[in-house]
Amino acid sequence: MIYGGNMPPRWTTVFRDAAIVVALSAAVALTTNKLRSSGIPLVAAQEYEVLVPCPEHEGKPAKPLTPGDVNPKEKGLLLVDAREAETYRAWHAPGAISIPYDYLEPKPEEKRVLRSRARRVIVYGDGENPDSGEQLANAISGKGVKNVHFVRGGAPALRRALGGGR
Amino acid sequence: MKRILEWPGHAWLALPARLYLGYVFIWACLHKIAAPATFALDVATYQLLPLSLINITALVLPWVELLAGVMIVLGFRTRAAALLISGMMLVFMVALGWALHQGLDMSCGCFASQSSDEHAISWLTMLRDAGWLALALYVLGFDRRPLGLDRLWPRGRATAA
Repeated sequence: MIYGGNMPPRWTTVFRDAAIVVALSAAVALTTNKLRSSGIPLVAAQEYEVLVPCPEHEGKPAKPLTPGDVNPKEKGLLLVDAREAETYRAWHAPGAISIPYDYLEPKPEEKRVLRSRARRVIVYGDGENPDSGEQLANAISGKGVKNVHFVRGGAPALRRALGGGR
Repeated sequence: MKRILEWPGHAWLALPARLYLGYVFIWACLHKIAAPATFALDVATYQLLPLSLINITALVLPWVELLAGVMIVLGFRTRAAALLISGMMLVFMVALGWALHQGLDMSCGCFASQSSDEHAISWLTMLRDAGWLALALYVLGFDRRPLGLDRLWPRGRATAA
């Protein structure tokens, strides 16, 4: 039986066509690069300065929460304030404990959280970028503590959501 | 299996997949072609390739994306285009998986104007890429008589069987 031109191409033909496309692309790319003023050298003269932050924590990152989702009276909840002790004293969410987060001197924060036997941990910080609440939450979650969240917007947003109460 | 492969509906099912993949790849390559130095930095950020291959990859890859994207939209050498897109997706997924494994906080560099703050890579990026790979593999494996130029001007291959 003779098959005509309506048959699908053989795999060898498909691979050959793909190779032709790659060769053609390389030719166009190199020619264009040669002709344009913003062309780059084919081999970089020096290493690229790649600034990629290393991972800070090994475990799963904490999950974000909107301030409206925080109910300080929730059963089994541990609320953690990651800000400086001074700002904690000025205002903190009802029932929140203070664990100031210090990036330069991280402490074994998870031990205090584990001792509380809470079923859910919600951390809020200064709400800045980076947010100390998110960092502390990630640090705790990274140590293997489950069900850890942080509040988007930190203390300012949470305070608005809770009506500014102490 | 032969009956499944020969089902004529594949061409119509594959058409939206082809148009979508073509759109994605053509859109993705434009900023890379326009700003090769920026894309070279994106490639370097993955920390996978040796220095000697970074610039050449940054120069050639976008053009492969462009040609493959145009071909798959037009239905010209469609399966070769699908093969190239599948291959590129596999390479991207390996690079992405490696970056995620290393915990690199970075943008995938897939599209223009992506900062790592707003478009940081994640396993969702991997899932998205897997979806595109699945579409490309479907076209490659099942779209044997694609709608488009391949059907208008089929190859004059005659095979005795």
